Amino acid sequence: MLLTDEQKRMYDGEYGPGTQKAISMLIEYGEVWDAERMVKVHNVDSIIGGGEWLEQILEEVERVRAITTIHAGHSGGREYAKSIGLKEEVFQLSEKTEKETLDICVPKGFIPAMTCTPYLVGNVPMAGRVFSWSGSSGIIIGNSVFGGRGNRDAAPASVASAITGLTPDMLLLKKEHRYGQVLFELEDLDVENFNEADYGAIGYYIGGIANAKNVVVNGIPENISFDHLKSFLTPQPVSGAVAMCHIVGVTPEAPTVEEALGHKKPEMTVKIGKKEYRESWESLHTAKTDDVEIVFFGCPQVSVGDLGEIARLLEGKKIADGVKLVASAANEVYTLAQRTGYTNAIEEAGGIIVRGICIMGFPYAQLEVPATTGATNSAKAASYQARRGINIQYGSFEDCINAAITGKWGR
Amino acid sequence: MILKGKTVKKGIVEGEAIVSQLPFSYLGDLNPETGTVAPKGHDLEGQSIADKIFVFPTGKGSTVGPYVANRAKQTGNTPKGMICIDVEPVMAMVAIMNDIPMVHKLDKNPLEVIKTGDYIKMDATDGTVEVIKKGD
Repeated sequence: MLLTDEQKRMYDGEYGPGTQKAISMLIEYGEVWDAERMVKVHNVDSIIGGGEWLEQILEEVERVRAITTIHAGHSGGREYAKSIGLKEEVFQLSEKTEKETLDICVPKGFIPAMTCTPYLVGNVPMAGRVFSWSGSSGIIIGNSVFGGRGNRDAAPASVASAITGLTPDMLLLKKEHRYGQVLFELEDLDVENFNEADYGAIGYYIGGIANAKNVVVNGIPENISFDHLKSFLTPQPVSGAVAMCHIVGVTPEAPTVEEALGHKKPEMTVKIGKKEYRESWESLHTAKTDDVEIVFFGCPQVSVGDLGEIARLLEGKKIADGVKLVASAANEVYTLAQRTGYTNAIEEAGGIIVRGICIMGFPYAQLEVPATTGATNSAKAASYQARRGINIQYGSFEDCINAAITGKWGR
Repeated sequence: MILKGKTVKKGIVEGEAIVSQLPFSYLGDLNPETGTVAPKGHDLEGQSIADKIFVFPTGKGSTVGPYVANRAKQTGNTPKGMICIDVEPVMAMVAIMNDIPMVHKLDKNPLEVIKTGDYIKMDATDGTVEVIKKGD
């Protein structure tokens, strides 16, 4: 790999052993795919871990070289544990680890955003620029909505990129690897009236077919909201490993189907109609009864708009006895929703808004009274929870909140 | 039999092969405290990959896989070496971060020519893998 003089100085240890280790790892990482050079990384979102390794890679590092946020963890949950009905000790160990990690990282410029939605708190990739984010939903959103360039990087690679401001020029960073390979045509679907769960079901179907290939989707309304894009893209790396989804008319690189495909024929063309939509919905909705014990939103964490929608549906109502409603948000999003009165409306109805934690793996087993049935509008959370044996009621905000109020699933 | 492939992480190791037909994620598929493969129904369920040459198709799943492998390394439960058909970034970083010699893109499909129990001599630096069949 060709290194600039500055990169050679990093490699030779002039910036200390941590930076040297970081660039050495990135060189090895790049050589696997024959990368010829390093490129500048502007945005990093990191899942931090590794104990002793972390201390080594940060040795003599003064400051990160990219906007670097820290991803959501599990540890902030202790303050909410009681209201959700969780055993408190679940969070104690991870909280200690997280505090130790932040004590090392924050003075070096890591921003403790503790979110899986870095783009909602100011860590926004620009079109054509390179980002390295650890979360699969952020990666596909960064590529497909913002037009940034990011790979499905391993978490330690993102940490090394924060330290060096560099990543190898490979895979999805290169124009020729970004074109669509599988074309999906939506037909005979009422997309204009789709809600977030409808989009989630379609996205989940796409990921299952495309696996790790780049996707082109034709037939999504050009005025689709950002929140709906988030619901549509997030499940694609859950049922599959999609990191680039060209939404024709929305994705900066996809003004037309032909351009999204790089003027080549797709490897495969797949029609999605009512039958595929129904099949996907049924695969997400695994509950066989109308029971609801927990309603959860925020995988990925909710936006202010989402909290507004939850507040509107809960306004003046009460959540049924025996049901818990939990929404997960970034701290900053919570603060904005507080100013608009949304958090009040939700909390007065008995809802709980948790901040700074990941609820993808909602710890049902760690409840004082273990639950077996959950309702959500997140296809990602539905899929992961079902793998743990939880019965899922899958539906929109409206479906889920009606269930929270009545205590029964009624879709 | 000698196979020729491409380096993911340099190093020279030898040991007994353990082969899985399934894409692998260190988060979820491995218990880092014991080195055994955890999920029910996995083709290596309950078996240990520690100190073996681990042969599998590719990586999958969470980007924190390398951290889980790092935990397994501290408990002495990482494989000695890894061979896969075609690596993806997360699994490549498992090998790089934890110094586990690894090759991919071999000239023959390793899942077909290597069987659990075969003895492997691997030079991941120049990308060669010698397979000594069990019983030879």
